[in-house]
Amino acid sequence: MVKYVLKRIGYLLLTLFIVASITFFLMKLLPGTPFNNPKIPAAQIAILRKQYGLDLPVWQQYLNYMVGIAHGDFGESYQFAGQTVSYLISTRIGPSLQLGVQAMIIGTLLGILLGAIAAIRKNTWVDATATIFAIIGRSIPNFVFAALLQFWLAYKWRLFPIALWDGFSSSILPTLALAMAPLANTARFMRTEMVDVLSSDYIELAKSKGESQWQVVAKHAMRNSMIPIVTIIGPMAVDLMLGSLVVENVFAIPGIGQQFVQSITTNDYPVIMGLTMLYSVMLTVVILIVDILYGFIDPRIRLSGEGN
Amino acid sequence: MQPAVAKSVAKPTDNGTVYTYNLRNSKWSNGDDVTASDFVFAWRRTVDPATKSQYAYLYSGVKNADKIMAGKAKASTLGVKALSKDKLQVTLEHPIPYFNTMLVNPAFFPQSEKAVGEYGKKFGTQSKYLVFNGPYKLTGWNGTNNSWKEVKNPTYWNAKNVHIDQINVTAIKDPSTAMNLYQSGKLDDASLTGDQAAVAKSKPDYQGVKQASTFYLELNEKKIPAFKNTKIRQAIGMSINREEYIKKVLQDGSIDAPNVTPQGLAQDPSTKEDFSKEAAKGYSQYTQYNPKEAKTLWTAGLKEANLKTLSVELLTDDTDNAKKSGEYLQNTLEKNLPGLKVTIATVPFKTRLSRSQNGQFDMVMGGWSADFPDPITFLDLFTTDGSYNDGKWSNAQYDKLIEQSKTTYATDAEKRWQALIQAQQILTKEQGIIPIYQRVQAHLVNPKVQNLKTAPGGSYNFVGVTLKK
Repeated sequence: MVKYVLKRIGYLLLTLFIVASITFFLMKLLPGTPFNNPKIPAAQIAILRKQYGLDLPVWQQYLNYMVGIAHGDFGESYQFAGQTVSYLISTRIGPSLQLGVQAMIIGTLLGILLGAIAAIRKNTWVDATATIFAIIGRSIPNFVFAALLQFWLAYKWRLFPIALWDGFSSSILPTLALAMAPLANTARFMRTEMVDVLSSDYIELAKSKGESQWQVVAKHAMRNSMIPIVTIIGPMAVDLMLGSLVVENVFAIPGIGQQFVQSITTNDYPVIMGLTMLYSVMLTVVILIVDILYGFIDPRIRLSGEGN
Repeated sequence: MQPAVAKSVAKPTDNGTVYTYNLRNSKWSNGDDVTASDFVFAWRRTVDPATKSQYAYLYSGVKNADKIMAGKAKASTLGVKALSKDKLQVTLEHPIPYFNTMLVNPAFFPQSEKAVGEYGKKFGTQSKYLVFNGPYKLTGWNGTNNSWKEVKNPTYWNAKNVHIDQINVTAIKDPSTAMNLYQSGKLDDASLTGDQAAVAKSKPDYQGVKQASTFYLELNEKKIPAFKNTKIRQAIGMSINREEYIKKVLQDGSIDAPNVTPQGLAQDPSTKEDFSKEAAKGYSQYTQYNPKEAKTLWTAGLKEANLKTLSVELLTDDTDNAKKSGEYLQNTLEKNLPGLKVTIATVPFKTRLSRSQNGQFDMVMGGWSADFPDPITFLDLFTTDGSYNDGKWSNAQYDKLIEQSKTTYATDAEKRWQALIQAQQILTKEQGIIPIYQRVQAHLVNPKVQNLKTAPGGSYNFVGVTLKK
């Protein structure tokens, strides 16, 4: 087990190194400079580039970058002069994390419920309704939900704040908008898996022992049907927690999603790099955790090396 | 022009190169006096390349500024001196007749040496690392958030005319969210997009705020020799129905521009007439829609250039109106100018900017916003060696007039004005660039808010603003 985890951590570091390198060179291909006032004369831009070390050969910039990152120093933002990347991320990630976690919980719980009901009532109107619901949730982009929720629930009926980040009530609508996709995803996975499980031998056995249908579902079917969901929950959670540009824009939330897109359009190299690395670290770590968890959730899965 | 922290608008001496300002007795929000040395400190700091200011270039023309920016002289050699606690003297390299108007730019504001020293690298990065000498103090800004407050600054020299105690500001990227918030009474002022403006135009709380920004077509004379022909350029100028374009495409209440210098920017020193209006007298036909005259000029122009047809590429970008604007122009130009073929190339905004600057285009819509309220901020662009003269139009007389406005007439406001008017008229008549429109920013403003003024650059002035009960 320890050997396996260490090996995986080694791969993880290699992955991060490759991501950092690719991001660095892709950034260099972006048109424009971080100095976004189009009126700055060329001579002045040359002076600024020198001050920021952007006049050095690319390989040297790359080295400086990698050495900095290895020390956990992502440098300062160009767009927000004097602001370190770590400060920028730490002040903006709070709302995104909160929304992501809330959306994840609501989305997966409701999704599991919806999927399970659809499976149990397979090929009835309940199943059909749940399927339609899931397809809608999957295929309509979340900014459409966001705009609809805002217009009806906040603007017309005044049940929630229209926008702005001000207390829990302002987080409800964006959470709902974000929860649609995980809800639909989980529901589809859950249904398919549950249908499989429900027709397996051990369920038949449980039934023949005289357990009621709800007992069977709660005790046996649910747990086994949820294994594949664990696989998709990890990456989905990372996606959600790192914010959505459109939902954040619609509800005027000072989150990290907005920052990410803005950093790319303004060539804010250190911020792009900082956020990409944050995303990569979260994703790779979550995948690792999920893989380790598998061993505990499902005894049928053995981590390599353990059998020896 | 109104003095603020200075007692009066200074008149230059020494042939227009020395300005001496007498400062008012005023205080920073931490209680310290605002002194002449706060200006000296701030200016030297901005010009010093180590500060990495993106606005240092505005100082070009102040003695030694260029040398300091290039790292060839120390910041302490900048032509700015504190003669006493309340006397500031500025020395220029050559007369800059509009120097006083440049000082409205925040890049020339004072900075408290004490505060900068105290906060060090953190100075200016959050509201708690700042001191203020204006009407309001910024609070609740952590450097990265979207909402903050402006709280009345009791130490502001004109605090008795500040009637609103607090202003809440929020940056909202999504225009329909801003509109919803405004309509449910959560905002008192929201800016609108073109689509929204078209709907809101009839409302009593609709306001169009004229900005000192003009948009114009640049024709690349270096790449397309036919554009060197004046008649061809004039034909293009007359073949665009600006009113229809604004109404159908922009929809935001922008106004058609007879000149590159926008309305409301500068007034005649003696008659107080608006520069743009005065210059357009007798020259407005060059930007008026006249398909018949356009066709005549076009045919004659093509003949002079020994051409039967002309194919050009119109460069546009991926910003809001650019695509629709491109299509409108393509359509109207091809319709009115027989033998002209216009293709459209769409690139990302930043690529468009760099292609414009590097001359990699045939025809492109460019824009400019005033740096300070003087016509030269626009007219300086189109001299033969002007660094933003992307189309490379060149006219010796124009160059001479601009040069004279800075030298011979530098200290004669009246003659200088006439030179600039003449230069503007040459540019319009020649259609060195094709002016299209002056931007108007559409707003919804709570009718209770009274006396709210906007500077030509688009910034608000809250001094004197009241709330009707």
